[in-house]
Amino acid sequence: MRFPHAIIGAAAVALLLSGCTSGSSGDATGPINLPEDPASVTGDISYAIWDVNQQPAMEKLIADFNTTYPNVDVSVELTAFPQYFTKLQTQGSSGTLPDVFWMNGPNLQLFASNDMLAPLEPFEDADLFDPSNYPSAMNDIYTYDGTQYGVPKDFDTIALFYNKAILARAGVEAPTADWTWDDYHAAAKKISDTLGGEGIIGSGDSTRNQENVYPAVLSNGGTIIDGDKSGYDSPEAVEALQFWADMVADGSSLTPAANADTEGFDRFLNGQVGLVWGGNWRVSGVLESAVAADVSVAELPLAPTGERKTVIHGVANAMSAHSDNPEAAQAFLSYLGSEEAALIQAEAGAANPAFNGTQQDFVDSAPGMNLQVFEDAATDYAEAYPVSKNTGAWNKVELDLLPQAFSGERPVADVAKDLADQMNEALAKEK
Amino acid sequence: MSETIERAGSGMQAAQAPAPGGGGATRLARKRHSPDGWWPALFILPLAAGIGLFYLWPLLQSVYYSFTEWGVFGGSTWTGVENYVRLMQDPDVLRAIVNTLVYTGILLVGIPIAVVFAALLNRPGLRFAMIYRTCFFLPYIAMPTAISMVWRIIYNNDYGVINSTLRVVGIEGPAWISTEWFSLVAVAIVGLWMSIGFNMIILSAGLKGIPPELYEASAIDGAGKGRQFRSITVPLLTPSIFFLSVMTFIAGFQLFDMLYALLGPTNPVMPKTQSLVFLFYDAAFGANEKGYASAIGVLILLIIGLFTLVQFRLQRRWVHYAD
Amino acid sequence: MPINNMQTRNARGGSIAGHNRGAHVVLIIGSLLMIFPFLWQVKMSISTEADIMSIPPTLWPSSFEWNNFAEVFTRVPFLSQFWVSLAVTVLRTLAQLILCSMAGYAFARMHFRFKGILLAVLLSILMVPTQVYLIPQYQIVQSVGLLDTIAGIAAPGLFSAFGTFLMMQFFKAMPAELEQAARLDGCNSWQIFTRVMMPLAKPGLISLAIITVLASWNDLLWPLVVASSPDNMPLSVGLATLQGYQGSVDTGVLMAASLMAMAPILIVFVALQRRVVEGIAFAGLK
Repeated sequence: MRFPHAIIGAAAVALLLSGCTSGSSGDATGPINLPEDPASVTGDISYAIWDVNQQPAMEKLIADFNTTYPNVDVSVELTAFPQYFTKLQTQGSSGTLPDVFWMNGPNLQLFASNDMLAPLEPFEDADLFDPSNYPSAMNDIYTYDGTQYGVPKDFDTIALFYNKAILARAGVEAPTADWTWDDYHAAAKKISDTLGGEGIIGSGDSTRNQENVYPAVLSNGGTIIDGDKSGYDSPEAVEALQFWADMVADGSSLTPAANADTEGFDRFLNGQVGLVWGGNWRVSGVLESAVAADVSVAELPLAPTGERKTVIHGVANAMSAHSDNPEAAQAFLSYLGSEEAALIQAEAGAANPAFNGTQQDFVDSAPGMNLQVFEDAATDYAEAYPVSKNTGAWNKVELDLLPQAFSGERPVADVAKDLADQMNEALAKEK
Repeated sequence: MSETIERAGSGMQAAQAPAPGGGGATRLARKRHSPDGWWPALFILPLAAGIGLFYLWPLLQSVYYSFTEWGVFGGSTWTGVENYVRLMQDPDVLRAIVNTLVYTGILLVGIPIAVVFAALLNRPGLRFAMIYRTCFFLPYIAMPTAISMVWRIIYNNDYGVINSTLRVVGIEGPAWISTEWFSLVAVAIVGLWMSIGFNMIILSAGLKGIPPELYEASAIDGAGKGRQFRSITVPLLTPSIFFLSVMTFIAGFQLFDMLYALLGPTNPVMPKTQSLVFLFYDAAFGANEKGYASAIGVLILLIIGLFTLVQFRLQRRWVHYAD
Repeated sequence: MPINNMQTRNARGGSIAGHNRGAHVVLIIGSLLMIFPFLWQVKMSISTEADIMSIPPTLWPSSFEWNNFAEVFTRVPFLSQFWVSLAVTVLRTLAQLILCSMAGYAFARMHFRFKGILLAVLLSILMVPTQVYLIPQYQIVQSVGLLDTIAGIAAPGLFSAFGTFLMMQFFKAMPAELEQAARLDGCNSWQIFTRVMMPLAKPGLISLAIITVLASWNDLLWPLVVASSPDNMPLSVGLATLQGYQGSVDTGVLMAASLMAMAPILIVFVALQRRVVEGIAFAGLK
């Protein structure tokens, strides 16, 4: 094909322009020497987040940061979660990432392995960051190739939410720490059978990865990723998936289709569900709902192995490796990792802070709800949320295949085998 | 407009043939004989510069990257036709093509519906025409982000208006947004709803161009309203209908936003409902396989190009031009 | 014209009214189907979350949450985002009106080499999913330092392949005699374009303007990626930030915000309807 000179010319200009995109002035990887006088740190930095509900708390943090660093202007950049990482990738491909931004587990390795994030070693060397302040599983999630890249901001674990009023009406005892999967199933079944006529269903478990599938598989002694292989085709994992499929099959829990219509946890908030596994980020929604007074939290039931496990995940703050104002960004990131910042966050009720020993405000935010369960889970039986270098690739496979197992469309073992094969394929591509 | 695309269509054929103008001597001669001299360049250059920079260059880049494995943050390795081989073996692609065609097919139904409404709206002496027109035009100006949320709630199986109403008369409606095929129909209904007003306004103009004498003459011949509609209105509207069908096709193949917003990316029915552009977006920004995504983009271009070409070839058989 | 209309209507009075009764029935049903989602949206915008999700749905809110509208102003900087939307829309519309009509005129009335290829290229650009252009366009806008600016948001939309086709087709339909006469008077091509053709192209320009205004006002992904600070986002993006995370969305506020974002376009449309309808109708003329 031949093109007129004008277009070739324009294309050449574009080539030239886009050729020089990744160059950036910041030195974000060398030793850190923040000046003695905080007032001498100046300039503008940006802080990208995705949750509109946490924005006020983030503004409070910035205000507090400015009491020490009065001459740094931090602007919050809010992008809703569905587009957050699309935007971050686009920015990353041009070397224009925000100076400091929220990171999650599934995306950490992707950004870290492409040299997008500032490593935290220099912070440690300068006594600006200490990993022992955070749950070790959280540090693991944000470590790639032996180097940590994210300062844990908050953490979440999974526990069992239940609606006392619904349980009482169905004649079901409140769950205890001794409940097994069988007890859980029987209780859910009894609620569905007794109150089904009113549109109430026993369990609102939406067979989501983080809240249902991962905790069940791990509790049963299985794995999601084992080294560079999928763990889904192990007998332990298949048994765990079967547990959910059985729950769906006899009407104890919602079908995947019903979940797509109205998510299980939303039904719980509407008083249409008695039991549901959920993360602690759900608590603020519960407190605002009409069922707030009836809700309490218990440990997850024990798997047939006699064990219980939860995944632990949380958001971390990360700094761009190409920040134009590394000094200010370093100062801000260090501040975000401090106990002071964690306490402000907890007080604002925005999230359950990751800094060890700062969670009391969160636990106290709902005194009758027994929120200590989430904190104990983190210390006693939590495992790191499974991630790899390109988590998105196999998350899509899970999303495509798992509903087929839960809906009864295909035998669980077949789906698990398919899932493991396709996941292994995706994992092999990461090398 | 249809004429426009016809020209463009022939241009497309030209693009596949060797460039016109052959050797240097003839080219020079042509230039001298051209009455317009440098004027065309002056008129086109400002636009061409922008189109070249913001659209053509990215398009060419994308075609190049479709033959590579393209890193998330830049850097690519040449892999030849590997992405295209994978494309042909990917069962998701075939399903996405079928879904996209079904969706487009349903959107096309909007054209005859719009013909009927437009014909009614253009009756002489019709009162409240302005109010009706505003109603029909409203969906076209709706903000997709918000209106898809409204529809999601309308379609809801538990508290949605549609199924609640059906329940009152004793019918258990399908779970619209989570049942295979129904979910696609649900998305297409919203697409249809958004396009009808636009279709109608375009058709209204076509209707205004039909000389009233034709109706008077046929009335004298004893033709009824229905007969007139079939033998005068529809044939004389065919150029507008043709324009709409070409545009509907292009729009139908761009299905993404509504699908994403209405069904939600984690909907279990999504693997069976996804469109080609959804696959593209998912490969590019979900699975971070931008090279493969580029190949899907090229496939979309080829399919629409092919269908557009076929439409132009077939138009002689059914489109009536006044002159 | 309205008076004339009335007279004809009155003269033929009863028969036409009776005659159109069927048409009114069909049009009213159609109109209701068209506006129902908006009525539902209005209802939700003044409802509580519990009302929105009540089973069965209620036709009338149990309490009126007018607060949702006030709440929008505290969640997003509505006025500055309105200004960004307006500025981007005006810039894009003006640029397209000028650039697309110039190029469209050349394609319609001038002879030059590679016209066929250029047209094919323009058409191909329409056929590719717009997301394909996202990263390259971003890199271009970034390299000229226009990220997070109104100019950067507007930039790619200043140029349009669709608009060029539309204008080309319009100029093609215009009689050639006018041009020849002007040429005999000694006008050059530029003078013919500006003095003879553009004034006659008004309906085409209106239709292009409407299409551009709507596309620009509702554009989401591109401005979302380019604009970072809340004050530099257009309304469509500001609205998207209200979506919340994992079900923590406040539906009523989102509905109120989107109604507020739509309102300016609706008001303009109703006010200018006659011209708008004529203008947009042109897109369908062959």
